[in-house]
Amino acid sequence: MVTARGLVRTFGEGRAARRVLDGTALDVEAGEIVAVLGRSGSGKSTLLHVLGGLDRPDAGTVEVAGRPVTGVGERRLSALRRRHIGFVFQFFHLLPELTGEGNVLLPARVRGADPEAPARGRALVDRLGLRPVADSLPHHLSGGEQQRFAIARALVNDPALLLADEPTGNLDVEAGAAVLALLRELAGEGRAIVLVTHEANAAAIADRVLRLEAGRLVPA
Amino acid sequence: MRTVLAALGIFAASLVVGTAVTVGYGLATGFDRAAREADLPHVIARFDREARETVDERVRALPNVAARSYRHEEKDVDLRANGHGTRKGVLHIVVDGRRGYAVTEGRDLRGPDEVVVERGLAREWGLSPGDRMRVFGGWDVRVVGVAIEPDNVAFPLTVTPRVYTSEASWDHPVSVNLALLWLVDPDRADITLTQARATSFGIGSLAFITRAGIEVLLGQAAGIVIALLVAFSVVALAAAGTMLAASAQAEVQRRLPSFGVRRALGFTPARLAAGQAAEAALLAAPAAALGLGAGALAVAGPSGALLAQLNELPPGAALLPVLAACLLGVTALVTAAATWPAWRAARRPPAEILRGGDLARPRRRRATTSSPPTAARHAASSQPASPARFRDGLLATGARFALAARGRFAASVATIAVCAGVVALMLALAALLERLRDDPGAIGKRYQLTVRLNPFDVDAVKAIPGVADAAERYQAEVADSFRLGEPLRMIAYPGDHTRFEAPPIAEGRRLRDASEVEVGVGLADALGLRPGATLAVQTEGGTEARFRVAGVVRALEHDGRVAYVRPDRLLDAQPDVGSTISVRLAPGADRAAVERELEALGAPPQPVAGATTRNAAFLGVLATVLRGVGLAVGLVCLYALIQALAMTARERRGAVALLRAVGGDTRTVAAVLAGAALVVAVPAAIAGVLLEWLVLGPLVARLAAGYADLPLAPSPGQVALVVGGLLGLSAAATALVARRTMRERVIEGLREE
Repeated sequence: MVTARGLVRTFGEGRAARRVLDGTALDVEAGEIVAVLGRSGSGKSTLLHVLGGLDRPDAGTVEVAGRPVTGVGERRLSALRRRHIGFVFQFFHLLPELTGEGNVLLPARVRGADPEAPARGRALVDRLGLRPVADSLPHHLSGGEQQRFAIARALVNDPALLLADEPTGNLDVEAGAAVLALLRELAGEGRAIVLVTHEANAAAIADRVLRLEAGRLVPA
Repeated sequence: MRTVLAALGIFAASLVVGTAVTVGYGLATGFDRAAREADLPHVIARFDREARETVDERVRALPNVAARSYRHEEKDVDLRANGHGTRKGVLHIVVDGRRGYAVTEGRDLRGPDEVVVERGLAREWGLSPGDRMRVFGGWDVRVVGVAIEPDNVAFPLTVTPRVYTSEASWDHPVSVNLALLWLVDPDRADITLTQARATSFGIGSLAFITRAGIEVLLGQAAGIVIALLVAFSVVALAAAGTMLAASAQAEVQRRLPSFGVRRALGFTPARLAAGQAAEAALLAAPAAALGLGAGALAVAGPSGALLAQLNELPPGAALLPVLAACLLGVTALVTAAATWPAWRAARRPPAEILRGGDLARPRRRRATTSSPPTAARHAASSQPASPARFRDGLLATGARFALAARGRFAASVATIAVCAGVVALMLALAALLERLRDDPGAIGKRYQLTVRLNPFDVDAVKAIPGVADAAERYQAEVADSFRLGEPLRMIAYPGDHTRFEAPPIAEGRRLRDASEVEVGVGLADALGLRPGATLAVQTEGGTEARFRVAGVVRALEHDGRVAYVRPDRLLDAQPDVGSTISVRLAPGADRAAVERELEALGAPPQPVAGATTRNAAFLGVLATVLRGVGLAVGLVCLYALIQALAMTARERRGAVALLRAVGGDTRTVAAVLAGAALVVAVPAAIAGVLLEWLVLGPLVARLAAGYADLPLAPSPGQVALVVGGLLGLSAAATALVARRTMRERVIEGLREE
């Protein structure tokens, strides 16, 4: 589902340059959860962003569902993200002006979205038990509810790949466990999931656990 | 980029200020400057030709006279030069003493067969010192200088070009009919004139005009146009001020996080505000200087041409202190506008600043809480389900982004509304000027043709097919008897004059008989007339006629210094008063056929225009200039929209990045930005039209011609143009900002969020 080869990403220039990805390679199969661990600043989130086409590597290639992520224009990248990739962020990134359901349906408003997306989004709200608070604004929601809305949003376009960046990092133990269980369930539906975390219990649900060290992925 | 945008905003606003100040200052001070330069006399006396010694004997006896000189004025002189010619020339034979005109090119008169020509004539005919001119059809003279004398507008705005020559060209003493008087105390001119009239026995047709009177006459000649331009300058300054303040406010809003960090690091509010003030001043001063300079340079040519037409001088270096004051003012305004919100923001707790200033964010955000308060959940859960597609669509989302920063939203709407109002005003003004030029109805005239026929021919004219009505129209230029030198125009129709001219009644009623008069508001204000008062006029022959004021009317003609009467008393006082026949055409009449029939009666008919023929081109040019100004203000709107959108996109870059992360492309981002633009542009367009309709239009109409009803309300077409234009500008601004936003990496926006 995901194939990454020889990824290089450097921040800064000259003597201040820092290479966080240095020949990184990764393969993730459909239905597989891969957890990536590492120290703060080791490049875990950067890897996720490069895999999802949110950031461009200095070198290397990425393919998602057989389609190239690297070396393509912004238009094709947008389409790829729209159809094949879902993101879950540590800080949820819910728009404060929109209701919980409005946030879920946001990707369905985007030009070129799947026509079935709105119905799927509403079904996701029901499935994740969010219907009672679907019309609430984000600041009226608990952290766990916000993250579930964020996960629902990531699934609206039925992506084959889910990229989750510290999805439990801002949640308490109980809410975090619920989110991890949900991710496991989604992998069971055949989605590939790459999970960046520094929490052991989060890594525990993964099929494979890798550690990012000196810019390369090694088994943990 | 943001600094460049801010500098561009200050530059654009200063451009408007520079333009307005250059035009406004030039027009407001043009007459005084030219009068001072030309040493224009305080009083000009015209009288029948008389020996200079006889006149001088009377003038010498007058108190309060500091200096005097005399001229002989010859009218309807044939002038030919450079292939041009006129029979309407005026030759002034300068006898002695102070000149009363300023030589702007070449030199003054020294010997015989030399002339100095007025600047308008030199410009129109391409004359310069050294050229030859033929006067009276056979007298060849040499042009030695070019001069201005601001006692009249310039040729060709006046059809009577003026040429000066000296007494040396004659071999005998020249009789005089013009006396120029310089007074010791100009404020006591009225007393001097009263004494002059008392001692003028034996001097015929004596008439005075004062420097103040000339200013009034010039105001009449340039008319409404000067007042409109001055009024526009005031409006433009107000718009520029609003825009500058909004721009500065937005800049401070953008920098609030930086303020928060520095406050957290121990900077005092005063230090932060001072730093902001210094930065703002450093940015504002050069941008404002460039803008003011560019504005002044851009309109210096057209403004100078306009002043030249009015026989006035451009301000030249005198404008520099004014522009310097504007520079100080704009810099101070920008600095104050930037410092005040900075000072307010810096005084708040650093944590509050870091949370985002006045941006409307949720008051309680509990991102890490897993169990929300019951009350809040109930409140949220009990919210009725709403049509999500409408509430959460991309356009609506963009609108919410813009509305979140309430202060900037209000400032943006206010700025663009003022600009839209000014644009609507410019369009209405341009349309009015063209109507004044082309449509007699614009100045209350209901007839379309005039013909110089004997009054006895009225019945024959009425009998022509296509003529709805006809009547003789008498017109006389007279002076008020009680206040010497107050000129007014008397217009007389037998019977009801409203069949042909019907300015609306402002006070009182229509006249009913030959003893009554309707006076224009301009005349009523000048003479303090109200219904029931007496208007006493003195005709050219010196005979007086009196009328009781029945009503005051809002007449546009002659700056409202008109009086409508029945002809009886006017003809008694001045039997030779000139008359024409006014012809009102029937609806759908064949105008050409009527004109042919009228010509067959013995005189070619003249079309009635709103303005006189010589002003027509002038008004056309002004209409074009006003539309150009409207276009320039439209560009200011574009800038304001881009700035508002750029600020919104910058503040909500996290949200925009999220949209892109979920697959949104340029069009998606553009849709959100379009929502942000529309929520500003639509209310601004409505407010702008209302502003023009309810405030600017009436205000400018009152400033320009309080004596008349100027139709300055925007027409449906103009409203559509303003609203459509703003929507078009919104689309352009959206496209620009969307393209710029898409250049940023998605992840950078997400990091900030």
